[in-house]
Amino acid sequence: MREFVEVLITGFTIGIVYFLVAVGFTLCYGVGRVLNYSYGSFFTWGAYLAWVIAVGYAKLNYILVFIIVLPITFMMGLVVDRIIIRPLRSRPEFDFSVLLATLGIAVFLDNLVLVIFGARTKSLPEFLKGSVSIGGFTISWQLLTMFIFATVVAVALFLFIAKTRTGQSMRAVAQDPTGARIVGIPLYRIYAITFGISTMLCGAGGILLAPRFFMTPLGGWTFLVKALIIVIAGGLGSLKGTLYASFLLGVLEALVGWKFGLLWVMPAWFIVLFLVLLIRPAGLFGSIARKA
Amino acid sequence: MLEVESISTFYGEFQAIHDVSLQVPQGSLVSIFGPNGHGKSTLLKTICGLMKPATGVIRFDGREIQGLPTHKLVEMGVVLISEERHLFPEMTVMENLRLGAYAKTARKKEKENFEFVFDMFPKLKILSKKAAQTLSGGEARMLAIGRGLMSNARFLAIDEPSFGLAPILRTQVFEQIVALKNRGLSILLVEQTTGDIAERSDYIYLLEDGRIAFSGDKDQALHDDVVRKVFLGIT
Repeated sequence: MREFVEVLITGFTIGIVYFLVAVGFTLCYGVGRVLNYSYGSFFTWGAYLAWVIAVGYAKLNYILVFIIVLPITFMMGLVVDRIIIRPLRSRPEFDFSVLLATLGIAVFLDNLVLVIFGARTKSLPEFLKGSVSIGGFTISWQLLTMFIFATVVAVALFLFIAKTRTGQSMRAVAQDPTGARIVGIPLYRIYAITFGISTMLCGAGGILLAPRFFMTPLGGWTFLVKALIIVIAGGLGSLKGTLYASFLLGVLEALVGWKFGLLWVMPAWFIVLFLVLLIRPAGLFGSIARKA
Repeated sequence: MLEVESISTFYGEFQAIHDVSLQVPQGSLVSIFGPNGHGKSTLLKTICGLMKPATGVIRFDGREIQGLPTHKLVEMGVVLISEERHLFPEMTVMENLRLGAYAKTARKKEKENFEFVFDMFPKLKILSKKAAQTLSGGEARMLAIGRGLMSNARFLAIDEPSFGLAPILRTQVFEQIVALKNRGLSILLVEQTTGDIAERSDYIYLLEDGRIAFSGDKDQALHDDVVRKVFLGIT
């Protein structure tokens, strides 16, 4: 029983991190209309940059890892948006061309990792060693810091979207891009910021989850697929749905990993996605009638 | 104040605007009439930066503005009130209005403009907490106009303000537009049918097939053969 609860706690914690990754993916699509195939590569980059700072070339602590890596992944997003995605916007068939373009970005970024860091897997040590006992349950410091960091980022994101002018502009652009232009919102700047925020969230996911998995240059693809599954299971465009689906699948991952081994995690995710779509074809909180 | 000099606008291969020139002097109300699908909305979109003209010059206060992004134009005071409304459906009436005052110049006068808009459309105040997507057609139109007025514009391009409005409200809106003009705003208005707004206009253009078919003041319009034929059905 005790072990079961501890597994649940782990699941919830992974769930929040998955939420960050998935919500960045949705933002990018909902606001910027970019189905970003290179999303996983930013996960990889977040993890490798963390490795560079914490293990490879310097031995800085994890707070500094966040302070340094998050702005870098944000800037990477801005650069990609400016030189690859923005020029495509004025052309016909943007939806399709951006799909291929981001696929190209993914190939480029992944191979850049391969060239710089080599093909051998790397691993990030745990943030903090040891564990703490709360109410009879043992929770590792690692998990606790993961939980705290992810929650802080998630809350900050919500406040940003709800309260700031830029956040409000992002919502306006998502709801009616032409309306946003009419009231004077600089559309391309909002697209760029949104893309940067989304890659930064994915980078944060990379930093937080890297200690749980081995890092490889192609490792990010798994998390692109995971983000997609969460977003579809939760209901495309629904933040609430994304949140619930993240927790559901995070807990599922922890339980399956505990009982059957990590190899069965992805099959379990797909089975759950299948069942969700069988019962609710638009996802947990999606509605089919939702305007595109 | 606003001068349009022989602009042409395309949708891909299709030319919607052919070599159109027009002027909106400071503090005047200028109306463009014409049948549906003859380029009226496209002309307004081109002036307000939502579309780029292929050729021609647009001047605002003597400065060339063709091809500038919309947000630059809004900051200069050139604002469009679209016929398609383009409200933010999941936001409340209040949030929509507040976004109307997005430009720096507008934010300073936000309070004043709120009062002005609620004065003009008291109903919006009652609806202020409702989501835009729950409004009726007429209410949504009021909100679109109200949001445009929040921008503190100096030049307003208004696309079919009376479309979908009840007759009483329609007259009221036209009166308010004249009131705006009397406050010193320059207004370029588009309507399908002349009706009572023609009488209130300082100058009238007729747009047919993307070309200016007639221009003159309202007295000239009443005596012009083309106008009489197209709008009044008199031959």
